Amino acid sequence: MEIGIGHYLTVGAILFTLGIFGIFLNRKNVIIILMSVELMLLAVNINLVGFSAFLNDLVGQVFAMFILTVAAAEAAIGLAILVVYFRNRGTIAVEDINLMKG
Amino acid sequence: MIYVLIVFLPALAAVLVGLLGRRLGDRASQLLTCLAVTASALLSLVVFFDIALGSGEPQRVQLLTWILSEELRVQWALYVDTLTAVMLVVVNVVSALVHWYSIGYMDHDPHKPRFMAYLSLFTFAMLMLVTADNLVQMFFGWEGVGLASYLLIGFWYEKPSANAAAIKAFVVNRVGDFGFALGIFGIFFVFGAVDFASIFQTAPNVAGKTWTFLGMQLDILTTLTMLLFVGAMGKSAQLFLHTWLPDAMEGPTPVSALIHAATMVTAGVFMVCRLSPVFEYAPDTLAVVTIIGASTAFFAATVGLVQNDIKRIVAYSTCSQLGYMFMAVGLSAYSAAMFHLFTHAFFKALLFLGSGAVIHALHDEQDIRRMGGLWSIMPLTGIMMWAGTLSLAGIPFFSGYYSKDLIVEVAFAGHGLVAQYAFWMALIGVFLTAFYSSRLMWMTFHGPARAEKSVMAHAHEPPLVMGIPLMILTLGAIAVGFFTHDYFTGHEMQEFWRESLLVLGDHDPIEAAHHAPLWFKFVPLGLAGAGIALSWYMYIRNPALPRRIAETNWPLYQFLLNKWYFDELYDLVFVRPARWLGRTLWKGGDGRIIDGFGPDGLAAMVGNLARRAGQAQTGYLYHYAFAMLIGIALIVTWFLVAG
Amino acid sequence: MIESRLPDFMTALPEIWLAGAAMLLLLIGVFRGNGGTRMVSWLAVVAIAVAFVMVAVSPAEREVTFAGMFVSDSFAKFAKELVLIGSAATIIMSLGYIRREGMERFEFPILILTATVGMMLMVSANDLIALYLGLELQSLSLYVLAAFKRDSLRSTEAGLKYFVLGALSSGMLLYGCSLIYGFTGTTNFDSLTTLFQGDAQAGIGLVFGIVFLIAGLAFKISAVPFHMWTPDVYEGATTPITAFFAAAPKVAAMSLFVRVLISPLVGVAAQWQQVIVAIAIASMLLGAFAAIRQTNIKRLMAYSSIGHMGFALVGLAAGTTDGAQSVMTYLAIYMVMNLGTFAAILAMKVKGEMVENVSDLSGLARTQPMLAFVLAVFMFSLAGIPPLAGFFAKFYVFKAAIDAGLFTLAIVGVLASVVGAFYYIRIIKVMYFDEPGDAFDLPVAGELRLVMTVTGLFTLLFVVFPTPILAWAQGAAAALIP
Repeated sequence: MEIGIGHYLTVGAILFTLGIFGIFLNRKNVIIILMSVELMLLAVNINLVGFSAFLNDLVGQVFAMFILTVAAAEAAIGLAILVVYFRNRGTIAVEDINLMKG
Repeated sequence: MIYVLIVFLPALAAVLVGLLGRRLGDRASQLLTCLAVTASALLSLVVFFDIALGSGEPQRVQLLTWILSEELRVQWALYVDTLTAVMLVVVNVVSALVHWYSIGYMDHDPHKPRFMAYLSLFTFAMLMLVTADNLVQMFFGWEGVGLASYLLIGFWYEKPSANAAAIKAFVVNRVGDFGFALGIFGIFFVFGAVDFASIFQTAPNVAGKTWTFLGMQLDILTTLTMLLFVGAMGKSAQLFLHTWLPDAMEGPTPVSALIHAATMVTAGVFMVCRLSPVFEYAPDTLAVVTIIGASTAFFAATVGLVQNDIKRIVAYSTCSQLGYMFMAVGLSAYSAAMFHLFTHAFFKALLFLGSGAVIHALHDEQDIRRMGGLWSIMPLTGIMMWAGTLSLAGIPFFSGYYSKDLIVEVAFAGHGLVAQYAFWMALIGVFLTAFYSSRLMWMTFHGPARAEKSVMAHAHEPPLVMGIPLMILTLGAIAVGFFTHDYFTGHEMQEFWRESLLVLGDHDPIEAAHHAPLWFKFVPLGLAGAGIALSWYMYIRNPALPRRIAETNWPLYQFLLNKWYFDELYDLVFVRPARWLGRTLWKGGDGRIIDGFGPDGLAAMVGNLARRAGQAQTGYLYHYAFAMLIGIALIVTWFLVAG
Repeated sequence: MIESRLPDFMTALPEIWLAGAAMLLLLIGVFRGNGGTRMVSWLAVVAIAVAFVMVAVSPAEREVTFAGMFVSDSFAKFAKELVLIGSAATIIMSLGYIRREGMERFEFPILILTATVGMMLMVSANDLIALYLGLELQSLSLYVLAAFKRDSLRSTEAGLKYFVLGALSSGMLLYGCSLIYGFTGTTNFDSLTTLFQGDAQAGIGLVFGIVFLIAGLAFKISAVPFHMWTPDVYEGATTPITAFFAAAPKVAAMSLFVRVLISPLVGVAAQWQQVIVAIAIASMLLGAFAAIRQTNIKRLMAYSSIGHMGFALVGLAAGTTDGAQSVMTYLAIYMVMNLGTFAAILAMKVKGEMVENVSDLSGLARTQPMLAFVLAVFMFSLAGIPPLAGFFAKFYVFKAAIDAGLFTLAIVGVLASVVGAFYYIRIIKVMYFDEPGDAFDLPVAGELRLVMTVTGLFTLLFVVFPTPILAWAQGAAAALIP
């Protein structure tokens, strides 16, 4: 079986959907949300690299490199915010992040 | 320049005193307004001698352009011809005298500057009305005097009755003004202009033409003039729209003298005279004017017979005399109407101001049943008021004689049923007028004193500042008719009025009246004398008689005392249904339907939506993320379905 | 042999300068410690001022550099100038606040600087990659800023919420970018413009890409339904940060939105127009209704900014140059009004404690008439009462919408601004007709007074001198469509 662009896209879409679902179905731990975000970004990267190979164009891979870099920074900042939040609240359960509403 | 000064001096004084009255103080306010109006009055006399008596041409002073909209062109302009000059004299002279008189009369009132400012404002509005060069400007003055009248009737705003009277005057006048406004719209629609010159020029061409309204063929000019006349009826308190005038006596007496006797109420007569070149082409309207005028003259006189409030009696006599004027107008005797307007202003202002002096002397007593015997205390006032009364009754060589007799003669000389009707009404009116006006005098000045001792002890002649205006008016009431009748209605008539009045055809009613048989001259005189004599008999000689007559004719007496039940009738026919309708619409329509669904319903809905919008903001991350996902799903769906 | 050439750095000089300045200030800060915050702050303002001059003197012609990734045109100039003003004003306004609240750390102005660089990159982006990088540079700085008061639960919760949702939106945006790249083969805006010019119909994959891109951008301007983070973050973040969020990033994100939609995607305008109309209506209505019951003035301002972004989108929905011009005018006026309002909010201090409830303003007209007057001017302006600037902002967007035939949108907009006027005027009512509560501390800091005076004068006098702003916005909008 020939593996075409459609398969890459499907994998990407599934991963992306998993990531999104991970964000709003998870009510327990914020770390899982961070992981889900990574999952989404990786799905995007699969898309980009797949397209890049398929189109025979390097821009997609360059884009993917940038995304990897930014994702690292993003994860670092996310974890840092999570740490200061934990210091204040003593928990990182998603359903407890509910001080402000209305 | 002189014309501008005449009109705007009172305006200037009104604005200054109205805005800065408190700072200026009472005395300065009074002097400022009095001097301004007096100056205006003197200038008016100059204009009168120049334009009316001399050879001065009618003047038109262009001030400003007011409205320029397609065909509708309205200018602020002062137009002064003989008609206006006469009105200028009447308005300004009476106004100046009333201004001075007010200094004395309002001596104890805490709001003097406000009063003086209103008076001057009124004077300005009235001058705008009489100097108008087009209908819109006239309407401005018309409404201005209405406003000033409203303010002045309700001047003692602590009194509920004064407020009620002010509102009544305003509302009843609104009915008339509605007609007047419709008339102006109609004139603009038909003539394409609102300035008098164009209207007069076009009027002959429109005469006899008809238009269709609700399937009826109506003569255009008749329709328009009827509408205008409705306005005149409202302002001049003619039958059916007269009910506000007696109530307007709630205002201070100088106001009654100025506004509700000498000037504002005559605006209707002036308006019809000014528009005589239009009214002349609408004979049907003129007939209606005659009938309304004659009926008013008779009706008001009968009511005046039994009233006990000194000011109300004078008010009904004003109403009645205005009826005479309209009667003359309806019979095309515009000059006679204007002449009567002219003399009436003097003697009626005199009567009002004299009544004011009496009221003032008796500590605000207005009921003539509690007066009497004042002759010995205030003879001067008595003499002056007798002069006014005799003038009103039409006793020879007093001013009123010349004008009123002429009107009766015009009616006598007129042809047709309408003139006949007017003649009989006028004749009866002469008798009744003499009766009730002398009754007033007998009850007030003669016979036993019925007021309390303490009140009588303090009664006194008016101070000079009130007395001198009275004297000037007395002179007018006695002599002005004698000196001017030649100009107004006699040989000099043509040179005097020139183009300002138009009478169609070869029949000049004045001319015809002058040819009335000699014996006829004595009929009104005889009736007036009989009226005075009868009232003397009833109220001095045999004071028990009136009560007996009233008891034997109880229903009739009640009918007259209650002013023909007009107020009650209107209350039943208009006021109550209107109030019921208003309440129903308010409670049911506005309260339940409009407020329920509109403001209140909307407010409740907004509050509801606001609460929901807040509830959607749960604070949970997963809800927020879910909302974003839903949003994206919706947009994608939209794209796929619509795109 | 591969030929290589240095790109033209001059075109991006303001960004390069500001990025360099940020790093230099970071060094200074590290050496001086937190005691040098005040100095670093003023230096940051100076750096921004220098950058502003650089932007101002840069040529108005369109210049492209970095292999077509970066564009400088009058649109970018306009947006950058607004962003720089907003950032500088924020730093100035926060000077007193961060010292009082014990958050005087030198990273604060530097983070604002980096966010500013990110915003400038955003508005100059001419490529999806540049767009993403600018957006992330801005967002990452803002996440940190939101959580900057690290011992406050509210602040950190705001940061966390902002971060999670921001990351989600970045993911969506990227997914959209990847699809657009895949189905067009390019990430460059110019190429995309040419590509979309011919066929107005986009394939289904491209539609998904455009939708995800719009969603990611809509998140940044907090348009409904991607607005949910806004009230919580505005309330939780410290007030100067909230002021910053409400001003410069909104301008930058909206400008980017305008550039993306009007420039590369204008060929498929018929398809995105309906979506923007829907988003605009939803934003205006939500902003109007949800704000009514708010008691916290920062939260109220959050809903207010949602509503205002909805109004700005009305102009964008028109999809014309006039529309773009009206949006840019709107942004300029909006930013000024918001800075002024937040300067007034920053003056709400009772006995050394910051207060932020609407009820704390009661009777302000009697205790501090000038402050009350200025705030009343801003409230009237935000409500869109003539003759204040806010009225004209709304007027131009509605006019653009009507000219484009979007009558429903304009009518809903007017109705929403009527409802919205309620809560603005309620604040005025509280200030002028309620019994005075505790008086605010005096004197109001000089920086705040400066900001309030300048913005207040702008709001009052816009009616007299609208021409410079209008001409400026017109030039900016004209640069979008060559």
